[in-house]
Amino acid sequence: MNQHHTIARPFTPRPAPARRRFGLDLARPSRRHWLGYLLLAPAVVLIALIIIYPLFVSVDMSFQNVGLVRLGAPRRPFTTINYERLFTSPEFWMACWVTFKLIVVVTISCFVLGVGTGLLVNNKFRGRAIARLFVALPWAVPEIVAVVIFAWIFDSSFGLMNWFFIKLGLVNTTINWFSDPTAAFAAVAVTMVWKGYPFVSIMTLAGLQSIPEDFYNAARVDGANAWQRFINITLPCLMPVLGVTMVLTILWVFRDFSIIYVLTGGGPLKATQTLSIMTYEQAFSFFKMGYASAVGVVTLILCVVASRLMVGRSTESIY
Amino acid sequence: MRARSSRQALLYLGVVLTCGVLLFPIYWLVVTALSPADSLHHLPPKFWPDVPQWGIFREIIEQRPIPLWLGNSILAALGSVGISMFVSVFAGYSLSRFRLRGGPSLGLFILTAKMLPATLLVIPLFGIFRQLGLIGSLWSIILAHATLIVPFSTWMLKGYFDTIPRELEQAAMVDGCSPLGAMFRVILPVATPGLAATALYGFVLSWSDYAYARTFLTNSQTNWTANLGITTMKGEYITNWNQISAAAVLVALPIIVIYLFLERYLVGGLTAGAEK
Repeated sequence: MNQHHTIARPFTPRPAPARRRFGLDLARPSRRHWLGYLLLAPAVVLIALIIIYPLFVSVDMSFQNVGLVRLGAPRRPFTTINYERLFTSPEFWMACWVTFKLIVVVTISCFVLGVGTGLLVNNKFRGRAIARLFVALPWAVPEIVAVVIFAWIFDSSFGLMNWFFIKLGLVNTTINWFSDPTAAFAAVAVTMVWKGYPFVSIMTLAGLQSIPEDFYNAARVDGANAWQRFINITLPCLMPVLGVTMVLTILWVFRDFSIIYVLTGGGPLKATQTLSIMTYEQAFSFFKMGYASAVGVVTLILCVVASRLMVGRSTESIY
Repeated sequence: MRARSSRQALLYLGVVLTCGVLLFPIYWLVVTALSPADSLHHLPPKFWPDVPQWGIFREIIEQRPIPLWLGNSILAALGSVGISMFVSVFAGYSLSRFRLRGGPSLGLFILTAKMLPATLLVIPLFGIFRQLGLIGSLWSIILAHATLIVPFSTWMLKGYFDTIPRELEQAAMVDGCSPLGAMFRVILPVATPGLAATALYGFVLSWSDYAYARTFLTNSQTNWTANLGITTMKGEYITNWNQISAAAVLVALPIIVIYLFLERYLVGGLTAGAEK
């Protein structure tokens, strides 16, 4: 504070004695914004150091033909070879396709389940507080724990899923969940849906609770039945929240690493290798840091473009 | 009257079925942890062990440095939440109360930072931390987790401060408080639930991280976090499912307890931004 006092002195007329205790007179309208910048400064510095600078390094790296990077080492010449390789590599297009498929399957399932559950527990019944607590519980389970649970459920010899399928007569031999491409994709999707749907329920519930009861009363007076009330009031009022939730869910699937990596490692035959997994594998299994950065940069651009397209100008309300 | 009660019965049936299906995986994890190893290799599966094997927890703690891993997870979470809260409280307050040139665009940038794939950021951070000699040290993930928490907590706190009327500080300043004094003495105490929710959610984010821990802490077991430790218990050929399940229970428990007690605040904070 003392320091600010000395800086401030030339600009301030003598502060009143009572205010002087606090040094710089930030209550004055002409000074108030200084306090604003001052409070923002630590966050700006931290973000610059741990997010912006690394991001800059990544983009820079994606234009160099580098393996394991030493930051002290002189910069390699500028090249677009990473991007050229990327766009001509079938692996990249495969990863795009897998990412796209996963997003579609997981998001739709999360929404059907999540909105349904949200509507269900929004009804009035005894014990609904407990029910709401329970339906959102998987959201609180760490991803790695979800992976442990589903890796065991999908175990090829003694897993519950195989037993269940055989019991239902759907298959007659056990499925090797993690060595068959389609089955592995399904296992990943199921795990992600279980972990991801409660978020949709939580948001749906929050959205439902912000609809004023008056809307429904007015509609009842006008003679609208339950279905009409749902179509004309509930859904339109829910739309903004659902839009934001959808963007968040899609981004989550887009970026997720731990569930897929620990469950399948991107295999078998790259059937579950999304862009995120590909980025990590190129960087830390093959140590092609430049190439991996290029994949990452493309992923980031896709993320930003997709979310901007979906929410347009209202991005600020996302979080 | 009859139509109403049958509707009510249908509702209960729906709720019970939904909760049952959705909670079953968690139930199955606990059952697996408490079952003796040989009964797991048995079909049809047993949905409740004859004798719950509580000794499993002692067994895994004796065989693996699980308390150490949990301790590392706690240290990493406390460190990253501490740093993040320190900068985010000020930044969130500033974004909520001041109209600054560049404020909105900074806010927008912070939002974009939330979209960064961890798998992209992990590459340059690996290089930077290696040069700083932080690879293998908990400091690497404390800083890396701050990249996850700061953008999120700044926005959550901004949203929370927005709900507190400005008249509160104005009244305090009329009474002779400085702007900073008004923030510390009036606004922060009022915002305690929001601060707690944000800190806890940050804790959950750090606790659940796998990508950064997997990349930065590989060299020495003693620095592993619990999440990383668990994944190494999955064997290439044989996995002791009861052991890994018991470890997973220990990792999930703190977060589930936090969630059960603070659901209202956590969920309230999370949805505050979206409802606007």
